[in-house]
Amino acid sequence: MSPHNDGAPVSGDEADILAAEFVLGLLDAPDEARAAERVRQDKDFAARVEQWRARFSELDITAPEGAAHAALLARIEHTLDSETAAAAPVKDTARVSDDRAMGARANGAPPGGAPRGWTVLAARLWDSLGFWRLSACAGAAASLLLALTLALVPPRLGPQPQLVAVLLGPQGEPAAVVNAYADGTADLVPLRSISVPDGRVLEVWTLQDAARGPVSIGLTSEARRIPLDLKSLPRTGPNQLFEITLEPRGGSPIGRPTGPILMKGTTSVAL
Amino acid sequence: MTAAARTETEFDCDAALRACASGDRAALHALYASEARRMIGVARRILKRDALAEEAVHDSFVQIWRQAASFDPARGAARTWIYAIVRHRALNILRGETRTDLVDDLEPFGLEAPDESPEAAMLRLSESGRLRACLERLEAPRRAALLLAYVNGLTHGELAGRFGVPLGTMKSWVRRSLLSLRECLA
Repeated sequence: MSPHNDGAPVSGDEADILAAEFVLGLLDAPDEARAAERVRQDKDFAARVEQWRARFSELDITAPEGAAHAALLARIEHTLDSETAAAAPVKDTARVSDDRAMGARANGAPPGGAPRGWTVLAARLWDSLGFWRLSACAGAAASLLLALTLALVPPRLGPQPQLVAVLLGPQGEPAAVVNAYADGTADLVPLRSISVPDGRVLEVWTLQDAARGPVSIGLTSEARRIPLDLKSLPRTGPNQLFEITLEPRGGSPIGRPTGPILMKGTTSVAL
Repeated sequence: MTAAARTETEFDCDAALRACASGDRAALHALYASEARRMIGVARRILKRDALAEEAVHDSFVQIWRQAASFDPARGAARTWIYAIVRHRALNILRGETRTDLVDDLEPFGLEAPDESPEAAMLRLSESGRLRACLERLEAPRRAALLLAYVNGLTHGELAGRFGVPLGTMKSWVRRSLLSLRECLA
């Protein structure tokens, strides 16, 4: 990547270009982390970053305005309220106040810090490679168990699904299965546990029609087998998308996904 | 910085941040009322999807509230600080939570906002502004590369692919464009 060395003095141009690339968001993750650290340590570099931000900031005003719903403000408040209730902000403030880079990623926070709302928790989990590796292992083990169960248990008496969707997590590991049965019912079978922050739920969505958008078909506060509500929908078809997002308690306030996508997958015909 | 789209009645971000730092929720509401629409717009140019843009703005307001006390007006404008947070959060979502997941090979949820041409953002800059004048002095593809990076969050690699040039060439385009932009703006 860029020919700069950690902490080594670089010419003004080098530092300036690096500052500009940092502001533009062009640096790859390791270089970005180094630059963010340098903003904290190196006053001159921090000033260069600030200068580039100011130079480009006019472009921010050119963004076409979006719609800012009251629900979003309510969700922000909710996050802040749950933080205040749960956190030890004093310690946090000390750390944050010299976070001049604003570049510290959520996972740059010290592990074991006070919980600061579901977004941060979710972001940490999401960003945490270890979490996903662990999940992938757990998922793989659960899949294996499921496969063994399916293989060893003789052909069953209960209804067989006509369509199956395996929902995959961010590393491509199987995380849940959606079964759609001939009688029009469907259920969700998780293949691994999911830690759901307080005040949040898992919401299951499906997309049949891009014009209509995703439709909520299930809510659960933990990863367990649940029936899915497909009554208001046409019959499930092949290649139909299912996904699970993290949402506020009671489900997304706006009727479409607002939180991070935890897993997703499309249906295939079960033979 | 030029006075693009600035008026006497412009919302005082600086005062709002100071009030946020002292725990004044009403100031956060006022900041939301004044800036959230534009913040969503900035995030949407990067993330394309409304739901993700709202997520970025949610996270940004949480961060703004938490870090308001660390904002130092001596270092730069309050508005610049706020938008740096939004862009940074949007870029992190783009790279951490979308780019590496499975969205690409499955149909994404919702409708994506159509990509605006990079020139469009520039044409909305104030005609009297320095940034516009200096961008206009760059060759069109190099100007477009800078705009796509800042406005839409493209990486060096994506820019190289888009313009059909080797990665090293794109990196040196960007460097040279930045140097001439700096010189022009000085």
